[in-house]
Amino acid sequence: MPIVELHNIRKVYGSKIAVEGLTLTIEPGTMFGLLGPNGSGKTTSIRMMIGMTMPDSGAVSLFGKPFERQSLHRVGYLPEERGLYKKMKVLEQLVFLGRLHGLDERTARTRSMAWCERMEIADVVNKKTEELSKGMQQKIQFIAALLHEPDLIIMDEPFSGLDPVNATLLQDTLVDLRREGKAILFSTHRMDQVEKLCDSIALISRSKLLLSGSMREVKSQYPRNHVRMVFQGSDAFLQHPCIESYKNYAGHAEIVLKKESAAQSVLAAAVTGGTSVSLFEVMEPTLEEIFIENVRASFGDAEAGGKVDA
Amino acid sequence: MHNVWLIARREYLERIRAKSFIVMTILIPMLMTTLILGAALLSSRNGSMNHIAVVTTDPQFATDLGTELSTSAKARPSIDVHALTEPAILNQLDAQVKDKDGKLDGYLVVTPAAAGAARPTFKWEPKIKSDVIGRARIADAIRAALTRERLTHTGMSSTEVDAMFDPVELGAVAAGGPSANESAVAFGSAYGMFFLMYFVILFYGMNVARSIIEEKTSRVFEVLLATIRPEEMLAGKVIGVGAVGLTQVGIWIGVAVALIQFQLIGHDVHVLPTLTQTFFFIVFFLLGYLLYSSIAAALGAMTNSEQELQQMNIFLMLPLIACSVVIFSIVTNPESMTAKVFSFIPLCTPLIMYTRIVVGHPSLFAVTLSVVDLVAMIAAVLWVASRIYRVGILMYGKKPNLPEIMRWLKYS
Repeated sequence: MPIVELHNIRKVYGSKIAVEGLTLTIEPGTMFGLLGPNGSGKTTSIRMMIGMTMPDSGAVSLFGKPFERQSLHRVGYLPEERGLYKKMKVLEQLVFLGRLHGLDERTARTRSMAWCERMEIADVVNKKTEELSKGMQQKIQFIAALLHEPDLIIMDEPFSGLDPVNATLLQDTLVDLRREGKAILFSTHRMDQVEKLCDSIALISRSKLLLSGSMREVKSQYPRNHVRMVFQGSDAFLQHPCIESYKNYAGHAEIVLKKESAAQSVLAAAVTGGTSVSLFEVMEPTLEEIFIENVRASFGDAEAGGKVDA
Repeated sequence: MHNVWLIARREYLERIRAKSFIVMTILIPMLMTTLILGAALLSSRNGSMNHIAVVTTDPQFATDLGTELSTSAKARPSIDVHALTEPAILNQLDAQVKDKDGKLDGYLVVTPAAAGAARPTFKWEPKIKSDVIGRARIADAIRAALTRERLTHTGMSSTEVDAMFDPVELGAVAAGGPSANESAVAFGSAYGMFFLMYFVILFYGMNVARSIIEEKTSRVFEVLLATIRPEEMLAGKVIGVGAVGLTQVGIWIGVAVALIQFQLIGHDVHVLPTLTQTFFFIVFFLLGYLLYSSIAAALGAMTNSEQELQQMNIFLMLPLIACSVVIFSIVTNPESMTAKVFSFIPLCTPLIMYTRIVVGHPSLFAVTLSVVDLVAMIAAVLWVASRIYRVGILMYGKKPNLPEIMRWLKYS
C-alpha cells in the first residue's frame, strides 16, 4: 500500500499555474527526493499532500485512503520557513507541538527528552528558544516533526543551514527511520545528498513533472558515457577523437564520451601516451548533471542561465 | 475541541507569565487612582468661587446669597460686603479682579430698582471670563436668594422657607413597579456594562488581532496548520488571549469589591444588582466580548502589520458608539421599536438586550433568540476569519474569490 499517491494534481493561483498534472507515488520504507529549481511548485505540492491547500483538480491519497484530516496524525512536517515560539522554553514547546499531534502530556514529555538526548541538545531544554543558535532551533523543529512517530515524514530543505556534524546527525536519523519502515519525503537543492540518500526521485520544473521513478530507473535512462579520472603526467590523451567534452582540474578530469564503448580506447591512449592513471571510473551522469540538463530543457536554453540553481 | 483548548492554554499561560502582564495589572489601577484622586484634589483647591465681593445696600441679601452658593459649592465662599455708597470701591474691586495673583474670584454689583417692588439689576464681573458654570451658579443663587427674601417679606418664617427649598423625594411608584433605587441600579448597571465592554474591547480585543499578526510574521502557523484547522487556531487564540483580558479585569474588579467591602473606599454603594441581573450581565458580557474578539481576529487575519490594523480599529468602535447613542432612548422606553430592532443586531445585542432585561420585560423567547443569534454570529465571524486567514498566509497577497472559498469547505 503506497503511503502517498498524487494523481494528476493541478493547482492554479490566479493566473499563475503552480502545479500541473503531477502524479507520483511514495512507498513505505523509501526515501523520496522531490527536486526542482526555486519556484517550481515543490512547496505547493507538499502543502496539497497535507491538506493545507486543496488541489483544483486531481486526487490526493494518504495511507491508501482519499485525504482526510485524521491521517495528519500520522504525518510529520518540517516546513521550509522555520518558525517556533521565541519566548517559549524548548521542552514546553516540544510538549505543546507533540500534544497538538495527538500525544498525551506525559508521552510527549518523555519522548521530547529522549529525542533531545539523541540530538545532543538535552542541556538546553529549559532555555528559551530565542536564546539558541539557528542550528539548534532547527534540530528542535526536526524533533517536533518526529515526536508522534509519524509514518510519513515530510521535510522541506531539512539540512539547510546546518554544519556538517549536525547535517550528518540528521541524515543518519533519517536513514534509521527509513529502516523502521517510514516513508520520508524531502525536498532539497543538494544533489549530492539526494544521490546518497534517496531511493526514488521526482523532478519538477515550471510546475510540471519532468522525471520520476527509482534512482536506478532514472539513471538507467542515461548512457554510461561519463568518466572520472585521476592521473599524473601528460594530458595529451584528452584530445582523443572519441571525447565529446572534458573538464580538466589539474590531474582530475571529468570526461563525457561520444559513445559508451569508447572508454577503453581512451584509457589505452592515456597509458600509451605515458600518463600514469591512478583512477579511471566509467559511470552514468551525476544527478546534478541530469537535473541541470532537464531543467535547462524545460526553460529553453536561453532562459536557463539565471533561473536554474541546483 | 482538544486542539482549541491546547492553543488557548498555551496563549493564556505564556501571557500570564510575562512580566508585562504583572506590571500592567499593578500599574494601571495605580495610575488611574492617582489620576482620579489628583484631579479631585486639584479641582477642590481650584474652585472658582472661593472669594467674591458683593456691592449692595442690603447686607441680608449678601448673606442669603452666601447660603445659596454654599449648597452648590463644596465650601461656603467668603464674601466681602461693600456698601454701594462708597464710589471708589468699584475701581478698587476692578483692580483686584484683574490682578492675576489676587484672591478675589469676582464681584457682583447690585443696583436697587427705582420702584420698590421691581427686581434690582445685577452685574457680575468674574476673574475668569470663560467660567460659564460659575456664572450660572451665581445666577441661580441670586434667584433663590431673591425668592427667599420675597417669601420672608410675605410673612413666612425662615424654617417654613427652608422646608420649601428642600429637594423633592420621589417615593415608590405604582405597586409592583421598580423602586427608585432599583431603576437607578438598572441604569447604573447598563451603563457600567457599556463602559466595561468599551474599555475591555479597546484594550484587549486588539490583543487578539495583534497575536494573530505575530503568528503570521513568525511563521509558526505553518507547523500548526499541518495538524490543526485555521478555525481551531483562531478560536484558541480568541479564547486564550481573551481569558487574559478577563483575568486582568477580574483581578481589578475583585480588588475594588474587596476595598468597598472593607469600607476602605466609597460608602455610596448601597444597592447591589439582583441575581438575575448578575447572571445576564455575565452571559452578555462574555458573549459580547467573544463576538468583538472574533471580529478583531478577522481584522488580524486580513492585515499584515500593526499599522494596517490601527486603521481597522474603527470597525470595532462604530457599533459600540451606535449603542451609546440609542441607549438613552432604550432606558426610557425599553419596549420601543428601536429597542427591539437593536437588541437583535448581534453587534448591539449584548448591550441593548441586557439593558432591556434590566429596565424592561422582554419575553424569555426574545432573550433566548438573541443569545442564539449572538452565538451564531460568533461562529460565522470565526468561520469567515479562518478562511481569510488561510488564504492570507498561503496565497501571498492574492484575494480569495467565492469558488475558492467553496472548495476549501469540502475538506473541512
